[in-house]
Amino acid sequence: MLCMGKNDHATIRAILAGDKEAYGELVMRHSQSLFRVAFRITGNEADAEDVVQEAFLRGYRKLESFESRSEFGTWIYRIAVRCALDRIGGHKTDETSRVAEVTDPERDGVQVADRAAGPDQLLLSGEIAAMQQAAMQSLTPMERSAFVLRHMEDRTIAEIAAALGIEPNAAKQAVFRAVQKLRLRLSALRMRI
Amino acid sequence: MTHLTEEELIEHYYSKGGGTASRHLEGCAECAEAYAALRSDLAQMMPAEPPTRDASYGEQVWTSIASTLPVYHSSRKHWMRIGLWRGLSYAALCALLVAGAFFAGRQWERGRQPGKAEIPPSQTRQGVILVVLSDHLDRTERLLVELKHVDAGSAEMVSPLRDEARSLLAANGACRRNAAQIGDPALGTALDRLNPLLIEVANQPESMSRATLARLQNEINANGLLFEVRVLRSRIPDHKSAAASQLNGGTI
Repeated sequence: MLCMGKNDHATIRAILAGDKEAYGELVMRHSQSLFRVAFRITGNEADAEDVVQEAFLRGYRKLESFESRSEFGTWIYRIAVRCALDRIGGHKTDETSRVAEVTDPERDGVQVADRAAGPDQLLLSGEIAAMQQAAMQSLTPMERSAFVLRHMEDRTIAEIAAALGIEPNAAKQAVFRAVQKLRLRLSALRMRI
Repeated sequence: MTHLTEEELIEHYYSKGGGTASRHLEGCAECAEAYAALRSDLAQMMPAEPPTRDASYGEQVWTSIASTLPVYHSSRKHWMRIGLWRGLSYAALCALLVAGAFFAGRQWERGRQPGKAEIPPSQTRQGVILVVLSDHLDRTERLLVELKHVDAGSAEMVSPLRDEARSLLAANGACRRNAAQIGDPALGTALDRLNPLLIEVANQPESMSRATLARLQNEINANGLLFEVRVLRSRIPDHKSAAASQLNGGTI
């Protein structure tokens, strides 16, 4: 990892010296991790791919302000989180139609954990995934992003605060509120199912 | 007993156990039940695995954005670095030019003027002789002037003149030899004619008779000694200038 960081710094120096193609190395090196977090925050592939592209574009434009004492991977990860936050903040989807979409197991195949399971289990998995999706949609963009980073990406409160550009206490409160809302939503959905 | 709040339970869940909350949960069934429910709910929110992206995904992303990225040729840091090196290069070049010009100037000055080191010892000696002669003629002129105006009966006035004449008499011999060395026969002749007068004054008693004084004053006037000394002295500055010029390596 340390070696990777050193390579990133050398690559950035080359880019700033006029070697644009060298940025391709950074893009190829960090695209997978950015796609993962972007998908978890946005919840769909298309948006996640857009977020990855936008993050690398923003990163390139801000490359002169990149401080060599930090890791490029961490830096571009934060940019991707901001891009994802902007993306879900700008998409005011109709919650009920979104729930209807995701409860359809045909369309939510990627969320199914065990594709080799029988029809009953497949249906149950689809219902659970749909419940998760519906619960996540009940969160504000900030709460959703904070929860994803804490619960799924296993980031610390300090890292979440830095990525979202908020105070650590605000990040902590966002995680609390997200958990409370999700539990409430899941309990209501369980009753319906 | 104060039970744990939901926030404290959530914090305990993400802190991976331990601390006061952990000890409380061991002794409080109600909170332990609430915590178990929380764990169950959060366990349902397991992260969905993102769709897989093959190894060429990074390349695809790069291809899609590469054409929109400008080249960092006009990077400020880059230009600052270039500017710094260029500035340092100019400064070094200027320092080199100044040092070269200084050295060339010194060499040119040496080539143009022979320099102090090339002054022959004979010229140096001649300069010293001229300085001594000038001083000797100054003192002689003063002595002759005072002799012309001295009161013969005053011992206080005559005695210093006699002492000065004795000193000048000793110096006059050396100056005559020096005049011969510098090849100035007119000076030598004048110093020869001055010598008898100096001998006579140097050998006078404490008080000088009026007749003796009148005779000496007449001798000075008749031989034109004072005039001759003044003429010689006026010639000396030219000799001194030339000598000083030679001593200073030719520069004035």
